[in-house]
Amino acid sequence: MDDLLNEFLTETGESIDVVDVELVKLEQDPNNKEVLDNIFRLVHTIKGTCGFLGLPRLESVAHASENVLGKFRDGELQVSEHAVTVILESLDRIKEILAGLEATEEEPEGDDSDLIARLDAIAEGAMAEPDPEPDTMDADIVDPGLGRPLKAGEVSLEELEAAFANAPGPEEMDEPASAAASASGGPSGGSLFDRVGGDDTLAVAAHLVSQRAANDKELSKFFAGTAADLRKGQFMGLMLAIFKDDLDAADNVARQIVTVAGFTNAHFDKLIKQVKDVLVECKVDGDTADEAVMSFELVRDCMVGAVKAVAKAETNKAGTSSASAAQADAGAGAQHGEAGKRTSQSIRVSVDLLEDLMNMVSELVLTRNQLLQITRNMDNSELGVPLQRLSQCTTELQENVMKTRMQPIGNAWAKLPRIVRDLTVELDKKIELDMRGAETELDRQVLELIKDPLTHMVRNSADHGIETPAERMAVGKPEVGTIVLNAYHEGGHIIIEIKDDGRGIPVAKLSAKILEKKLATEAELAAMSDSQIQKFIFHPGFSTAEKITSVSGRGVGMDVVRSNIEKIGGTIDMVSVEGKGSTFQIKIPLTLAIVAGLIVKAQEERYAIPQISVLELVRASTNSEHKIETIKDTPVLRLRNRLLPLVYLNEVLGFMTRDEIDARENADDFIVVAQVGAFTFGIVVDQVFDTEEIVVKPVAPILKDLDIYSGNTILGDGSVIMILDPNGIASKANSGVGDHDREEEDMQEQVRRGSGREKESMLLFRAGGKNPKAVPLALVARLEEIEVETIELSDGREMVQYRGALMPLIKAHPNMSLRTEGRQPVLVFTDREYTMGLAVDEILDIVEEELDIKLASDKQGVVGSAVINGKASEVIDVSYFLNLAFADWLKSRSVSDDVATSKGATVLLIDDSDFFRGMLKPVLRVAGYDVKAVSSAKAALKLMDEGHVYDLVISDIEMPDMNGFDFARQIRDGSKWEHLPLIALSALATERDVQRGHEAGFDDYIAKFDKEMLLRSLAQQLKIKGDAA
Amino acid sequence: MSNIVVRDDLSVVRTGTQDFVTVVLAGQTLGIPVLSVHDVLNPQQITRIPLAPAWVSGVLNLRGKIVTAIDLRQRLGLPPLEKGKQSMSVVVEHNDEPYSLQIDTVGEVLSLDDADFERNPVTLDQRWREVSRGIYRLKDKLLPILDVDRLLAFESNGKAA
Repeated sequence: MDDLLNEFLTETGESIDVVDVELVKLEQDPNNKEVLDNIFRLVHTIKGTCGFLGLPRLESVAHASENVLGKFRDGELQVSEHAVTVILESLDRIKEILAGLEATEEEPEGDDSDLIARLDAIAEGAMAEPDPEPDTMDADIVDPGLGRPLKAGEVSLEELEAAFANAPGPEEMDEPASAAASASGGPSGGSLFDRVGGDDTLAVAAHLVSQRAANDKELSKFFAGTAADLRKGQFMGLMLAIFKDDLDAADNVARQIVTVAGFTNAHFDKLIKQVKDVLVECKVDGDTADEAVMSFELVRDCMVGAVKAVAKAETNKAGTSSASAAQADAGAGAQHGEAGKRTSQSIRVSVDLLEDLMNMVSELVLTRNQLLQITRNMDNSELGVPLQRLSQCTTELQENVMKTRMQPIGNAWAKLPRIVRDLTVELDKKIELDMRGAETELDRQVLELIKDPLTHMVRNSADHGIETPAERMAVGKPEVGTIVLNAYHEGGHIIIEIKDDGRGIPVAKLSAKILEKKLATEAELAAMSDSQIQKFIFHPGFSTAEKITSVSGRGVGMDVVRSNIEKIGGTIDMVSVEGKGSTFQIKIPLTLAIVAGLIVKAQEERYAIPQISVLELVRASTNSEHKIETIKDTPVLRLRNRLLPLVYLNEVLGFMTRDEIDARENADDFIVVAQVGAFTFGIVVDQVFDTEEIVVKPVAPILKDLDIYSGNTILGDGSVIMILDPNGIASKANSGVGDHDREEEDMQEQVRRGSGREKESMLLFRAGGKNPKAVPLALVARLEEIEVETIELSDGREMVQYRGALMPLIKAHPNMSLRTEGRQPVLVFTDREYTMGLAVDEILDIVEEELDIKLASDKQGVVGSAVINGKASEVIDVSYFLNLAFADWLKSRSVSDDVATSKGATVLLIDDSDFFRGMLKPVLRVAGYDVKAVSSAKAALKLMDEGHVYDLVISDIEMPDMNGFDFARQIRDGSKWEHLPLIALSALATERDVQRGHEAGFDDYIAKFDKEMLLRSLAQQLKIKGDAA
Repeated sequence: MSNIVVRDDLSVVRTGTQDFVTVVLAGQTLGIPVLSVHDVLNPQQITRIPLAPAWVSGVLNLRGKIVTAIDLRQRLGLPPLEKGKQSMSVVVEHNDEPYSLQIDTVGEVLSLDDADFERNPVTLDQRWREVSRGIYRLKDKLLPILDVDRLLAFESNGKAA
């Protein structure tokens, strides 16, 4: 069911219950203004909500009652019984409609004009004769049980209570009515229930029976343990079940109804005699009453038998509580099981209670862990099994309690589309709001706290960030601005991003403002980077909007947002590029949470690493398959044909220096492979213990600055340990100089459009000559040192047995010679089934550089030269060497005629093979293109959606998920890139493939290894594009 | 028990008595208001926190609660405790966070007359002046009173220390 409707039903149900009670109070005390106001407000709310949800029937009924209540309030009308009755009737009608709504999600058909007319009549003060009232009300007028007409207030109060406490669901009221109508042919038609007179009569009868039973000297003691209301309900349930022939339910209630031992057959006879009397008094005809009493015989045994059961049970408390449950069962069973539905769906619980529960569960988990720890050290303890069970229950309990507190972040976003829509109207802008990850769950309390900051920031983006359509058109952006909200989990944190493609934060304007507000001096500003200046928006009392709109710009801006977020232990960061847009990133830790943690050891201290960021564990020692190697000073591990960067925990924590670590003998390390975002790295620890459920407790405020800890916890053995934050370790590890600046740059890179150049990890080595040579690290599968003795000559070429196959060894430079003794350093390249070793003189280092290849070289096997690490280095062309090693790898072509290139054109390269991307990128760069490479068509489409623009797209054909043909078709089908030149690059290059490619929309189709053709085609396509423009 | 009197230097003080827990730190006795002391602990197992400020000696488990231990000797610029001796701790609260102040030993609880209270002498060492609320004149010695809130107000001055 629709959430909104559901909430409305729950809330209105609650309101109506309150109104019921309050109205009754009002009747007793007509001058109580407070009660009246309360009723009025509640009915008004119901009316308002109905109107909002488009429920005309409900609205009109509520409106008419509100009218009357309004007159009461203003003193124009006296509160009269008649008026209250009619209002109560209208409440019943509302309940009836609500029940219909719940069942079908639509307002049931029906006519309320009669009711409304009566309400209106009251409102107009026409004190017409009271309309014929429902049966219940008839019964009110005289209470035959007491044998005298009662004072109006007293009687109706009791009866109303009886009627309402027993909650005859409106839908049942309808049913018996119609059933009775159809059965009106004769008294013997229809069920006993209908002939007795349905719910209304039963309610009255139950009330009377219960009262008389309580007043009867003999019988009263058997019902003494039950409250009057409950007793009434029990009798009601009993009669309902009996008269509706629901024997199971009847048995059940009958067993519960007597709470004191000693109920005999004689007592039972007396009770049914009373029932009969009451029924007759309720104008049930004699025959039916007899039949009804007969049917009571069915439960005689149960009731008398129940006594023994009760006698055995020492207390009756459990009996009474389960009796009410049984009664509910009986009621629900007798009807269509509808009535209980709404109430069971949700209940409201105070947050404090949940908070307490959470704390208790945390303690429970800790105690459980302690117990487990103790039994672990005991042999054959008989505690084992029960403890296991306890442990399991605890875990389940914990999960469920956690769940009660978690809410999807979408709840906090629900209002944003509306806000943005209103803003677009008010500000005359076109804005699209894109919300991603709305299902990301976070703690309810945190959610409440970030709701306002988030709203504020989205408003800011819409108001300050996004330009007017005219401005956007003028700078060549799409008319419609986009605000992207993105929420996701990352390494124990929740990240929320608010990104817009608006004008960004103008540094010049901001600087002027900073000077004006004297927040910094000119000299200070001059020394700051743009991003530092932009961060001034978080400064208290800062607002850049020139004119204060009604939307934002009142100067209580980002500083409030920031302090709110910091209050819950979060951080906020911002990257903004003028003219391109701004990205805000909010990072909220999952404190107060219970997580699985991997316990590791470094230097005699234990630490926990959140399991969520741990990918795998690897053991590395000097003589095992895995060993830690260093490239210059960078420790790496070969893991499944990849080089994994490593971080020594001992070093990060300052226990040991690198030299000390390197000097260890027979090192036996454990490597925790951790992932932070897209970055995978290994944390080297001394030892790994098991995983444990840990309760994350936030660190003391003084330690907040240490970003390598995300909290601390108490272990099963009672010791306190720190929880490491892989994010913090990663950033510390990326360290050396100004790692934070680099992070910022990386972020800016993301914001910057497609033309931005990426950094490239390059492996530097020396081969034949002093000058270093370089190769993209992504291409290198492994680094090996091969015993010279194992090198064999086969067919005049050097080969080596490697991983069960022969691997050709190629010299990286024709002038170099292989070593004659010891070990030969070799770079291993693999592509599909081809594996080749490239022998080099020395491996130097790995550096991260923006690859800027200076000039194309005509030397064979060299793509060009680049300044790396301040030295001119030759970048080798791996494809050339592969070709040397395997004649069939690709047909060698000499670099012949120069290809006309369009310098600086941006090219998007899509290929799922890392190898090819790595190989083609430098080739294209040398040819003067700016290259952006992605690994899938999906990623490319995402770039397109984000508004990146390229001059040309090169796509592989064979790719997982979406192949090149589909990709091309999608691009050509009216997308933003519809008119871009598309070049297919594929190993499948038969006539038919080429044909298919053209049909799919590729402008050209090139065989994968044909570098020359590719370059030529690129130039050609760009020229065509240029001519067309 | 508390009366307002005007003292010789015209300052108005309430007279009465207040209770202090005395602790000994490198031979110097200090007073801590008894009401701010939550616990007195024997030497505890303390988990070190690498990279934390030097005066944070670590965290410890106090009946299921994690308490940050502060090395008071470090904080006040005193030499570290001799080897082989272990610190006792006094647990206080600051901004709803529990902190365990590591001291050498805990002494008696004294009930002191307000009349014996005096403000810090201006010549008192800067580091001490920062954290001392004032000084009681006892018969045989002087008793500086630790201002727990200032001692633990890291946000303003802690990083420098």
